[in-house]
Amino acid sequence: MHAAILTDTTKCIGCRECVIACKKENRLPPDLPRRWSRDDGLSARNWTSVVEGPGGAYVRKQCRHCLEPACVASCPVGALTKTDLGPVVYDARKCMGCRYCMMACPYGIPRYDWDQTVPYIRKCILCYETRLKKGRQPACTEACPTKATIFGDRDELIELAKARIREKPDLYVHRVWGEREVGGASVLYISDVDLKFLTYNRELPPEPMPQRTKLAMNAVPFTFAGVVAAMAGLNWIIDRRRKLQEHPEGDEAPQEGRSNG
Amino acid sequence: MSLESWLDFARGPLFRLCFSLMILGLLRILVLTILGMKEAWDRSADKIVPWRDLTVQTAKWLVPVSSLWRKRPIYSAVSVVFHAGLLLVPLFLPAHVLLWKRAVGFAWAELPQALADWLTLAAVAAGLGLFAGRVFHSAARALSRRQEYVWPLLLVVPFATGYLCSHAVLSPRAYQWLMLLHVFAGNLILLLIPFTKIAHCVLFPLSQYVSGLAWKFPPRAGQRVAETLGYADRPTWVERPRVATDRILTPTEEA
Amino acid sequence: MARVRRLKFFLWALTGLAAAVGVFRFLFGLGAATNLSDAYPWGVWIGFDVMSGVALAAGGFIVTATVYIFKLERFHVIVRPAVLTAFLGYVAVAVGLLFDLGLPWNIWHMLIYWNPHSPLFEVGWCVMLYLTVLTLEFLPVPAEEISRLASVRRFLVKIRLPLVIAGIGLSTLHQSSLGSLFLIMPEYLHPLWYSPILPVLFLVSAIGLGLAMVIFESHTTAYFYYRKPETHLMASLAAAARWVLVVYLALRFADLAWRGQLHHLAGAGWQVWWFWFELAVMAFVPIAIFSLPQTRRNQTWQWAGALFGVAGVVLNRVNVGGLMHQGRGDRLYWPSWTEITISAGIVSAAVLAFLFFIEHFRVWQERPVDPEADPRKLPELSAVGATWLGVPVVANRTVYSLAFVGAAALGFALIHPQPASSRGIVPVPVHNARGADVLWIDGNLDGYGVAFPHADHEKREGGKKSCARCHHMNLPRDKASPCGVCHRDMYAPSDAFRHDWHAGPRGAALPCVKCHTPGRPRTKETAKTCDQCHKDLVAEGAVIKVKQYQAPSYTEAMHRLCVGCHVERAASRHKPDMPRCAWCHKERRRFVDAPDLDFRGLRAPGSEVVLPPLPESKSKR
Repeated sequence: MHAAILTDTTKCIGCRECVIACKKENRLPPDLPRRWSRDDGLSARNWTSVVEGPGGAYVRKQCRHCLEPACVASCPVGALTKTDLGPVVYDARKCMGCRYCMMACPYGIPRYDWDQTVPYIRKCILCYETRLKKGRQPACTEACPTKATIFGDRDELIELAKARIREKPDLYVHRVWGEREVGGASVLYISDVDLKFLTYNRELPPEPMPQRTKLAMNAVPFTFAGVVAAMAGLNWIIDRRRKLQEHPEGDEAPQEGRSNG
Repeated sequence: MSLESWLDFARGPLFRLCFSLMILGLLRILVLTILGMKEAWDRSADKIVPWRDLTVQTAKWLVPVSSLWRKRPIYSAVSVVFHAGLLLVPLFLPAHVLLWKRAVGFAWAELPQALADWLTLAAVAAGLGLFAGRVFHSAARALSRRQEYVWPLLLVVPFATGYLCSHAVLSPRAYQWLMLLHVFAGNLILLLIPFTKIAHCVLFPLSQYVSGLAWKFPPRAGQRVAETLGYADRPTWVERPRVATDRILTPTEEA
Repeated sequence: MARVRRLKFFLWALTGLAAAVGVFRFLFGLGAATNLSDAYPWGVWIGFDVMSGVALAAGGFIVTATVYIFKLERFHVIVRPAVLTAFLGYVAVAVGLLFDLGLPWNIWHMLIYWNPHSPLFEVGWCVMLYLTVLTLEFLPVPAEEISRLASVRRFLVKIRLPLVIAGIGLSTLHQSSLGSLFLIMPEYLHPLWYSPILPVLFLVSAIGLGLAMVIFESHTTAYFYYRKPETHLMASLAAAARWVLVVYLALRFADLAWRGQLHHLAGAGWQVWWFWFELAVMAFVPIAIFSLPQTRRNQTWQWAGALFGVAGVVLNRVNVGGLMHQGRGDRLYWPSWTEITISAGIVSAAVLAFLFFIEHFRVWQERPVDPEADPRKLPELSAVGATWLGVPVVANRTVYSLAFVGAAALGFALIHPQPASSRGIVPVPVHNARGADVLWIDGNLDGYGVAFPHADHEKREGGKKSCARCHHMNLPRDKASPCGVCHRDMYAPSDAFRHDWHAGPRGAALPCVKCHTPGRPRTKETAKTCDQCHKDLVAEGAVIKVKQYQAPSYTEAMHRLCVGCHVERAASRHKPDMPRCAWCHKERRRFVDAPDLDFRGLRAPGSEVVLPPLPESKSKR
C-alpha cells in the first residue's frame, strides 16, 4: 500500500484537533508567531495547520509527500528520502542546514528552526516512526472528529474522492488536488473552492520538478569529459603548431603566421 | 531622554562597548608586547638574557611583602588594600554578580555584603591616600605623569558613588543621578584600561622580561654604528638573517 | 604607501566588526543574525558570498587557460594575481558558506552521504575539488620563498598542465551548476530570469565577468600600490570580455524569444525595469565601454567598465538567488545589517590576504616595498615611555589591531543579545475589549475574537464583589482595569509594575528604602512584593496569584484565567467541550458584524466603530 491522506475541505469545521494531535504526537513545544513565520500557521513547531481559504473554507495545510519530491532531489546529502510506505522523511543526522529543500519545495512546506543554535528542517513526516511503521494511521486523521481528513491507500482514496465528486457534482470543484500536480502527491484534497491559494495562486505544472534538473545533471559527466578532452586536444594541437613553427620538419610548412607564442 | 533610559543605555550598549573594548584591547596589547619582545630578541646580537633572574624578579614583585614593604611600609599597605578593593569588589559584589547572572545566565561566588562594604570604604580611602602621596611626596611628583594623578581619583568615583547608592537614604532622583555617575565612571575606567598604565593588569608578568630584552639596546646604538661606518647621513640598517624578509630589496638596491 | 595603509585600516576595521557579528551568529543562531525566513530561506550570504563569489573568481580558470592552453604568453604576468584572486575567492566562498549553513560542522557530510541528483551536491564537490586544484596551482608561489618546499614546487610545476585542465573542467561544471540549482524552482523564479539554459547563462556570464574582475583587480591594486597600470594588456582582456558579453546577451534574448516569454518585457511591473537595469549594468554598459577604442584603451574607463561588470554579476546572482522569486509570501526579504557586515568582513579578510601575498611573495614581477616600512630600521628609544620600533613593525600593526579591536567592540555593543525564547517574536500591541454585557475580546484586532459574556460571568461568580477574582493587579481606586493597560504586548510577557508611578517625581515619590532593603542590590527580586503594601490587591478566592511583578503575555493571561476555570467546571457540569478552543474561539468575524451579540449602547444606528479592514471573511453558512 501507498500511505496517503485525503482531506475534504467541505467537511472541515476548523476545530484544529488535527493540529493539537500532531503537536502531541511529535512532542512539539508551544509556538508563537515569529518574524520568520509565514502567514499560514506552519512553523518548525507546527507541522500542520488549518488555514482559511476563499469564502471562509477551512483547509488543512501539511506536507504533500510528493511522489517525486523536489526536496528529496535537491538535498545534497540525502537527508530527505521518500520511503516505500509513502511519507517523505528526514534524517537530522545527515542534514547540514543548506535549506535548499526549502527553496525547492513547490508548496513551500519545509520550515526551519530559526531560533535555534543547532537548527533542523521541520515538516510533517506522516508519523512515520511512531505510527505508520507500526501499522497505525497518523495522529491527525485519527483525531479528526468529522472525518474530513482520512487516511488510506492512495489509489483507493483517489477512487473515493472521485466518487464523492460524482455524488455531489454541484458542491465540489471537479478536481482531485494532488493527483497530478508536479507528478502527484500522497496528500490529496477535494474542495468546494479553488485551492490555488495554497500555492500562493500559482498553478503547478504536471511534470515532476526533479525532471527539470535531470537533464543538466545527466550532462555533468559528459561535459566534464568533453571539456577536459577538448582542452587536452587544443593543448596538443597548439603545442605541435608552435614546435612546427620553431623547427619546421620535413615538408610540413609552418602554419600561416598566427602568433601563438 | 529620561534618566532611566540614559541608565539603560549606559548599562546596555555602552557597557558592552567598553567591556569588550577592555577585553579585546588587553588581549591586543598583550599580543603586541609579546610580538615586540620577539622583535627585540631577534634583533639582539648576543641572545644572553637572564631568564631565571627575571622570573624570580617577577615572582618577587607579585608578593606584596617584599623589599618595598620594608622601605615604605605605609605605601605598600595602602597599595595592597587599594588593589584588593579594586579587584574584589567590582567582580564579587552581590549586586554586580546579580547583573552578570541576568546578562549571561550564570553567576559565581559573591562577597558577603558587609565585607564588600568595608573593602569599598577602604578602597576609597586608599585611593585618596595614594593621590595625596603623589602630590605631597616630591620624589613621586618628579616621576609622575598626568595620568598618574587622574587615575586614583577616577578609580575612587565608582566606589564612592556605588557605596552611596546602596547605603545612603536618597530620593529616587538623586539615586538615579548617582547611579548614572557610577555607571559612566565605571565604563570610562573599562575603556581606558587597555590604553593606559592600568594595562599592567595583564602586562605585569611580562614587564621584567621586556626590560631585560630592551636593555640590550643602548640608546642611539644604531646611529653610532652608522657613524662608525661613515653612513651618518643615511638611515641605519642592520643585516638580519631571517627568511621571510631578507629577500625584500629596496628600490635602489634592486636597481 | 599611504593609500594601502588607509585601505588596510578600513579593511581591518570591517573584519573586526564582522568577527564580533560572527561570534553573535554562532552563539545565537541564524534567526537572530539574519532576516532570513521560512519564505526566503536563502539570502545575501548565498546570493552574494557564494554565487557572486564563485562567478567573480572565474578569472582564475580563464587566465590559466589563456596562458597554459592557448599559450598566449603575454598574459603570463597576470596568471599569478588571477590564480590568487580565484584561490582567495573560493576560500571566501567556503567561509561564507560556513556562516550560512545551519549546521556548518556537518559540511563534510557531502563527502560520505551522496545524492548525485542534487545540483548542490555537484556544486559542493566541484568547489571542493577546484579549491584543491587552486591551492596546488598557487602553492608554487609561496614555495619559492621556502627552501624546504623546493621539491614540492618542482613537482607542482611539473603537473601544472593536468591541474590547469582539471581546473577548467571543474570550473565549467560548477559555474554552470550554480545555475542548475534554480532549474528545480520554475514556479518561483520570475519568467524573465528562469530559463532551462540557466546553467549555460551562468557559465557564459561568469567567463565574461571573471575577465572583468581581473581588469578590476589589476587596476585597483595598481592604484593602491602606485604601480604602473597594465592598461595595454587589460585592453585585450576587455575586448575578449566584450565578445563574451555579446554572446551572453544574444543567448539570453534568444532564450526568451524561443520560450515565448518576450511579451513580459512589454508588461508593467518593477521586475521589467529591474530586468533592463540588470542587463544595463551587467552587459550594455561594459560592452559599450569595452567596444569604443578610446574608452577601451583608457585606464579609468577600463576600470569603470569592469566595475560595472562586477556589480552587474552580483546583481544578477542576487536576483536569481532570491530577489526575483515570487510567490514566497508577501513580505520581501531585505538583509539585516549583521548579514551585510559578515559579507563585507569576509571580502575584507580576503582582500587583506591578497595584499599579504602580494607584499610577501612574488605574485607580481616585483614586490611592492614601502620605503618607510623597512623592517630593518633600528628602534628609536626614548628615556621615558615607549620604545618606538619604528613605522614598519610597530605603527602598522598597532594601528591595524586598534582598528580591528575597536570595530569588534563596536559590533558587540550594537548587537542586542536576546534570550532565545523572545527572539523573532513580532510585537503586537494589545487593544482593550469592547462591548458591555458581552465583551468582544480581540487583543490584536485581527478579527479572530472571543465574545465573552461578561455580565453572565459576573452574575455567576457572585456579583460586584467578585470583580477582583479576575481583575487582578488593578490600578489604584480602579476595580476593573482593562487588560491592555498592563499586558501591553500580545505575546511577550510584560511588566505589571510601574516604577515611575512609585518613585518618580510626578508619582508617589517614595524614597528608595520604602521598598528596597538598604545595602542590598536594588532589584525587583529583593524589593517588597506588591501585596505587602497594597493589602487589598488580591481578593479572597482570586484566580490569579501575584507572585512576581512580571505579568504573563496577554494571550497567556487570558488563557490561564479562562482555561483553568473551564477545565474545573467541565468535569463538574458534564460539559467536556468547555475547555476546547472552539468553545470560545467560535469563528472569525468583525465586532460590528456580530448580530447575535448584544453590544449595549455601542450599536447606535449610524455609529461606525473604526476597525482595520479584514480580509474576506464572510460566514460560510
